[in-house]
Amino acid sequence: MNFLRRLFSGRLWALIRKETQQILRNKQIVFLLLFPPTVQLLVFGLALNPEVTGLDLGVADYSRSADSRELVAALVENDVFQVSTFEESQAALGDQVRAGRITAGLVIPPDFSQELSENQAAPVQVLVDGVDANTAGIAQGYVEQIVNRYNQGLTTPPSGQPESLPIETQVTFLYNPGLLSSWFFVPGVIGVVLTLTGSLVSSTTVIREKDVGTLEQLLMTPAAGWEILMAKIVPLFVLLLGDVLLASALARLVFDLPFRGNYLLFLGLSALYLFVCIGLGIFLATLAENQQQVVLTSFFFNVPLIQLSGAIAPIESMPPFFRHLSFFDPLRHYVQIARSLILKDVGIDALWVNILALAIFAILFLGVSINRFRAQLS
Amino acid sequence: MRRIFAQFLKELSQFQRDRLTVALAFLLPLAVLLIYGYAIRLEAKNIPLSIQDFDNSQLSRGYVERIFASQQFVPAPLLDNDPTLAIDRGIAKATLVIPPDFSRTIKDKDSVEVQVLVDGTDVNNARVIQNGIRATTQFFLRSDNLIPDRPRPQVVAEVRLWFNPGREEAFYIVPGIFGVILWVFPSMLAAIATVREKEQGTIVQIYASDLSAAEWLLGKELAYIAIGIGEALITLVVAALLFGIRIQGDPTPLLVGTIVFLAAAVAFGLFVGVRTGNQTGAVQGTAIAGFLTALLLSGFIYRIDNIPFPLSALSNVIPARYYILITRDALVRGTGWAGVGFAPLAIALIGGFFFFAATRILHRMQFSD
Repeated sequence: MNFLRRLFSGRLWALIRKETQQILRNKQIVFLLLFPPTVQLLVFGLALNPEVTGLDLGVADYSRSADSRELVAALVENDVFQVSTFEESQAALGDQVRAGRITAGLVIPPDFSQELSENQAAPVQVLVDGVDANTAGIAQGYVEQIVNRYNQGLTTPPSGQPESLPIETQVTFLYNPGLLSSWFFVPGVIGVVLTLTGSLVSSTTVIREKDVGTLEQLLMTPAAGWEILMAKIVPLFVLLLGDVLLASALARLVFDLPFRGNYLLFLGLSALYLFVCIGLGIFLATLAENQQQVVLTSFFFNVPLIQLSGAIAPIESMPPFFRHLSFFDPLRHYVQIARSLILKDVGIDALWVNILALAIFAILFLGVSINRFRAQLS
Repeated sequence: MRRIFAQFLKELSQFQRDRLTVALAFLLPLAVLLIYGYAIRLEAKNIPLSIQDFDNSQLSRGYVERIFASQQFVPAPLLDNDPTLAIDRGIAKATLVIPPDFSRTIKDKDSVEVQVLVDGTDVNNARVIQNGIRATTQFFLRSDNLIPDRPRPQVVAEVRLWFNPGREEAFYIVPGIFGVILWVFPSMLAAIATVREKEQGTIVQIYASDLSAAEWLLGKELAYIAIGIGEALITLVVAALLFGIRIQGDPTPLLVGTIVFLAAAVAFGLFVGVRTGNQTGAVQGTAIAGFLTALLLSGFIYRIDNIPFPLSALSNVIPARYYILITRDALVRGTGWAGVGFAPLAIALIGGFFFFAATRILHRMQFSD
């Protein structure tokens, strides 16, 4: 009771009000709270897309027959490829691939149609630009599937349906049946946005006071160190919570994310993650002398945090060392929580490891940064 | 000319006096190279796959064995006989469900349907899994002679992967990192240096002197291009040592492209620095913005053709987009000028615009104050 009375009687409350006013009066911080998160979320959500469609295909058709045209038609049928150029010769086709103007080239030899009609194997060559290894691999898989289907069509008895294979694989995509890439990226980007904004805004508010020298004035007041810090953290926390709401509104309205899990749980865990971000921001501010150094050092922390989190490229694809290293990345745990709660309908029982990790990081980051801050105060 | 050179020297000596900045200027690019170069991989290997085999016959076991033999999948446990539970928990990425009449149907020369449940969260690997299972199923059918004999008109596609037959993802990612590093750091350093002159008021001395805006900016421009060249060389050497990246073919497009690109990056930094007054937070915001555009709108990770309309227009004015074409060509394809001749021109155009804008702004301030 005594503690509560102290909490709201006067001093701390007054400090909190002072900090809030200071933040809201600073247009720059209000701007940082609103503008970058919105833009980042939209740009990330729209721009990151691993889809493999509309690959530019060049064709060198020496056969010029009905069969060869049918093969080309089969390749472009489901939009993985689009024919962008017909070349006279294989060499010219090769030049197009070399110059990077087409991703794949199809060479159909002159005796293609003849071989088919004589029931022989008819080889065609597909040149794929392998620079983009991932796209090339998926394109290769599609070419093989399309040619298999085409062959099945060839063996269709004139009257009947194309016969089906002995094993037909029926693939169902769970959680994201349309394979919308924004559904993968946006939950992760919410985490990225909170990290960038949270650490930026909290380091700015602390370093400002260092820069301007008002920290000394605060120290001369009877307020204790913990009160000064609490007064800094509480308004930041509330404002950043507003960013969580902003981000989820955008995710819901613009990207149509399903939010299948418990939304309150999502909010609560986002709040937990905000403490990590604030801790990181204060830590950066204690590390640096001025704001320029904060800029550079924040890169040092934010780049690995984001990259190892799986927000931009999947963790499962990383080499083992980095996959293990990612467990020490708080953002990784938050991204996993956000994806699970937004896309899957899972509860605490599937997420408790990540929640525990977040809690530990929050305590650790806040603890270390508060300690350093207090050491610098005295 | 002499005055520009004096500015250039002054700028360099000022730069090397700030030890922390010097250290960060050369360490940060390496850190970015290491993290991106090693940690960005799109295609998963060793995908955990759980199996629910209701048939449990010799044939179905053979099928399962064949699927794991491809090295693409590793077995994951099936939880509580529920095909989706392991995927919910993230223990498996996919579950293959083999129906009870699997072997009987196949022996009856009929078609049987196997269910594959795939975690669709990771969109890219969902496709990789689908293709992988289909390909191994096809392979299993052929190797076990289960495809019914048929007349033989068969198109055989011989797929050749050029430039990167082993499909090493590093050959795609590492050249792209150059575009990010050499954009972000030179522009950030230039912006910080310009803002610092404003904050400390030394810019007023420039206003008072008879040095013109263009001369002052050119001195800075040259100094940070020089620093950028240092960063480029270090990055190239480390990339060669760690990732086996070599310059292929004609080195001149890379040389010209890099210098033009650095010039554009520094010009952008100067523009930001001149523009934003003394709010370092704004510089910080711009640094992040520059970083994000170089990362997201340049085709660094995913294909640039996938960016939808309003953003795709924006990506046309992102110099990193053109520079990455140059580095990918110079470090992987080796085609030379024939492939990327227009790229340095596009970069120069954008860089020239920023430099011109910075000169204009500074010029105006010089006289209004």
